[in-house]
Amino acid sequence: MSLFLQTIICGILLGAMYALIAIGMTLIMGVMKIINLAHGALVMVGMYITYFCFKEWGIDPYLGMFISMPILFFIGCIIQKYLINRLVEVDSILPENQVLLTVGIMLVLTETMRLIFKSDYRSVATSYSSSTFFLGDISISIPMTIGFLIAMIFTWLLHLFLTRTDLGRSIRATAQDRDAAIYMGVNAPRITVITFGIGSALAAAGGSLLLPLFYLWPDIGHLFTAKAFIITILGGMGSTMGALFGGLTLGIAESLGATYISMGYKDVVGLIIFLLVLLFLPGGFKSLTRR
Amino acid sequence: MKKYLAILAVLAMVMGVTVTAGCGGGGSQQEQGAQNVVKVGVILPLTGTEAMFGTMEKNSMEMAYEELKAAGKTTVNGKEIKLIFEDDQSKQDAAKAAAEKLINQDKVAMLSGGYSSANTNVIAGTAQSKGIPFLIVTGSADKITKQGWQWVFRGAAAPSSKYTSALWDLFDKKIKPRNVAIIYENTDFGTSSAEAFRAACKARGINVVFDQGYEKGAIDFKPMLANMKKANPDVVFAVSYVMDASLIVKQMKELDFNPRLFVGGAAGYTMPEFLENAGNAAEYVASTTLWVPSVSWKGASDYFKKYKEKYGKEPDYHGAQAYATMYVIADALGRAKDFTPAGIQKALKETDLMTIMGPIKFEDWEGYTNQDKPTTYVVQWQKGKLEVVWPEEAASGKLVFPVPKWSERK
Amino acid sequence: MNWKGMIVPAIVAVIAVVLPFVVQAPYVQHIMIMVFIWATLGTAWNLLGGYAGQVSFGHAAFFGLGAYSAGLLIFHLKISPWWGLVLGPFISMLVAIPIGIICFRLRGPYFALATLALGEIFRLVFTNWVSLTNGAQGILILSSFPTKLPYYFIAFFIWGMSLLIVDRMVKSKLGYYFVSIREDQDAAESLGIPTTRYKMFALLPSAFIAGLVGAFYMNYIAFIDPHVVFSLSDISVMVILVVMMGGVATLWGPSVGAAIYVALGELFRAWLGAANVLAFGIIVCLVILFLPNGIIGELGTLKRLLSRQKAKAVMAGGN
Repeated sequence: MSLFLQTIICGILLGAMYALIAIGMTLIMGVMKIINLAHGALVMVGMYITYFCFKEWGIDPYLGMFISMPILFFIGCIIQKYLINRLVEVDSILPENQVLLTVGIMLVLTETMRLIFKSDYRSVATSYSSSTFFLGDISISIPMTIGFLIAMIFTWLLHLFLTRTDLGRSIRATAQDRDAAIYMGVNAPRITVITFGIGSALAAAGGSLLLPLFYLWPDIGHLFTAKAFIITILGGMGSTMGALFGGLTLGIAESLGATYISMGYKDVVGLIIFLLVLLFLPGGFKSLTRR
Repeated sequence: MKKYLAILAVLAMVMGVTVTAGCGGGGSQQEQGAQNVVKVGVILPLTGTEAMFGTMEKNSMEMAYEELKAAGKTTVNGKEIKLIFEDDQSKQDAAKAAAEKLINQDKVAMLSGGYSSANTNVIAGTAQSKGIPFLIVTGSADKITKQGWQWVFRGAAAPSSKYTSALWDLFDKKIKPRNVAIIYENTDFGTSSAEAFRAACKARGINVVFDQGYEKGAIDFKPMLANMKKANPDVVFAVSYVMDASLIVKQMKELDFNPRLFVGGAAGYTMPEFLENAGNAAEYVASTTLWVPSVSWKGASDYFKKYKEKYGKEPDYHGAQAYATMYVIADALGRAKDFTPAGIQKALKETDLMTIMGPIKFEDWEGYTNQDKPTTYVVQWQKGKLEVVWPEEAASGKLVFPVPKWSERK
Repeated sequence: MNWKGMIVPAIVAVIAVVLPFVVQAPYVQHIMIMVFIWATLGTAWNLLGGYAGQVSFGHAAFFGLGAYSAGLLIFHLKISPWWGLVLGPFISMLVAIPIGIICFRLRGPYFALATLALGEIFRLVFTNWVSLTNGAQGILILSSFPTKLPYYFIAFFIWGMSLLIVDRMVKSKLGYYFVSIREDQDAAESLGIPTTRYKMFALLPSAFIAGLVGAFYMNYIAFIDPHVVFSLSDISVMVILVVMMGGVATLWGPSVGAAIYVALGELFRAWLGAANVLAFGIIVCLVILFLPNGIIGELGTLKRLLSRQKAKAVMAGGN
């Protein structure tokens, strides 16, 4: 029984951090309907900024997050404004050529970081990195718990932002029907720029939360891109709450898979859930709440 | 207009590559160069996921080259050894292209390099079919030197199933484990190490109570570790890459999981990054290894110090492999009567050189061809330093066994 | 038979046949073989992704299945891996049927992500199913020919065949169905086109060709492991890149894209050292920004630009 509980708790804590990364992607996919393969690379850049702040100035990763988030917001805005939006205006046979642009951006970001920081593996060892507390004989990691709480707070704040502010409502309107939103006087290109910025900033936040317990090297982005996709589809594009539930589901599914099937097959469990949701619940968890 | 220019630019580049490739970068120049240099092609991952190791190996080889040059050993038979580095981008397509280019275009006398097993396989296959000597730096899959390939030499690297020779000696003489757990990353090196370890356990009648592979790059190993804790092994044997290694020991500490000894199978568990990330969880973790800076071979600690001074970073056994390989190359070319492939092959075969990795000889044994018999060690992290604990004659510290429980440590 | 339509293929074929005898450097022949491999794979992807508009992120699955069909023949049964060229395509096609049934219910980004997930599942299963596939240790064989020429002509033949298949298909009635599905699936359905069936007609040949070239890859490179042939970032995504750079939904686009991808990759790798992938990434961004339909796809724009220049020149001359 304690093995089962341990597994579930690990899954929940990890899932929340997956969710935070995925929320950035779900926003971007919801508004722009494009597959952003550079998302993981943005997480990676955010992690490097946080890492740099820690190494150079001794800023704790949880505070460094507030430096990396605005920088990534800025980078995201620039990518959207000068690269992706340019392509939206062009008529092309397959809209998916935007995907390719994100592949190019991913390569450029990854290799730029490699030139600056080399390919070395880096990590941040804080005093709390591997501290734990025990509930009975179940061990709970403190940095993961902090990460979990911050992820929850961010999700909640973002939810408030999207539902209570004018800007947030404009973003949601653009996500639901871009043409109608433009008709109603929403400046859609500007909204997409801001959305990409927010999405990137959230990616940086997720990366920074993982930094104390994970590690960092330029190719780490692929890992996050794949997870974020799965969660985005699980939760339904554009839904923050959906992404949160999607993240938790994936975290728990992977943990259970690792415990009861095998560590090698744990990702298969996640992918099969992903396929099942795609087939039987194409709108993701979001569509459950609508009914 | 912009589009027109873009297309022109792209087309010009394609034309460019065809022309340069076709002409071989100026044939006359090459022939002229061939008069006074002997070229050695080195294929290493300088970009992509394995770039960190490739860079370390390139640096080490260049460092060794400079030392050899200062000693006048880079000029052999009136010709100067010239290293040509090629990047394999950690991808096997690129490794194949690099090998083809070096052999056919640059007309190298011999090849070296090879970090990952996958890329080493491809380079070795190409070298064998072309009849060019290939001296492996790191690639350690057993099968590479088990094909009977006469042109492939492995000196500074051991076959992955032999990394544990010293460890088994230690197990047999001292630890005598009854239940062991095996975890390994799902790569060529990981699976073949685990396979050999499993077979050795079976031969000795040791119970394998837990045996699982994992995808590298996982964040959370706790489900696997909690499961393993339940199986209650005496000894855990783990083959992991750098950072997975540190996450595994950190999370073992978090779970308060206390096997009597935790042994890593080289790779991740001996690297400076491991200590940096795992912090005090690294204490008492043992590992097999091919090399440590404190090993008694002449020049080993000098290499370590010099590298750290020059590149600001501690090298591990991968760097030492490259460093020793460079010495083997210079030695073999120095003895070669002529620089035909057969001449170099003969010289390599007759190698008997003392390097910082120990003595290197290319022998045929247990189905291997041109394979050095490796010297392996068991090391243990003690007070943030790697101490050799086995074999006893090379030991710099005493094995702590069984290791204290997490709760009993400060 | 339209003889004008035959000129370009004939010239290309003659050049391709003569080239290895003119340029005998095996390195150039290796590059050409890699171009053929990518061109064939791109042509396969283009049938489904370009013409029928079903952007697949999982073509590595078919490629890998072809490669493993060839590899496992020799690994388990000691049968020459060349028989994989016969077996591989059919296995890929067989597996494509359930994949199609699953994925064709989905559209747009959802379809793309479903194929991505399936491709990854294949990689993970082939890594973990050690008793069948030898897991991550992969399969190593001895190459059968000492020279490059046989490989060159086999690769050339496979490429030519794939072009022929795709050309015949898109010029038949099927081609119109494919394009109508790509442009507006709902409209196509309302006109009574059974879209799922026609998507399947695009997928099956696509998987067949991908499996064929996968089996050839095993024979040529002589080593495979699951991380290499089922790779998402190095195969599935790169094949899309090849097609889109060259020109989506054009016959020659994938081949032009492959030539650029392989040639540029080699050029940069040789000249730029550690910055080679960075330079490649920048080129990708530039091509997509300035030539959103790829090089062949923008030929029309190019011609217009050129003729305008000519017209201007004529006018200037007239004055």
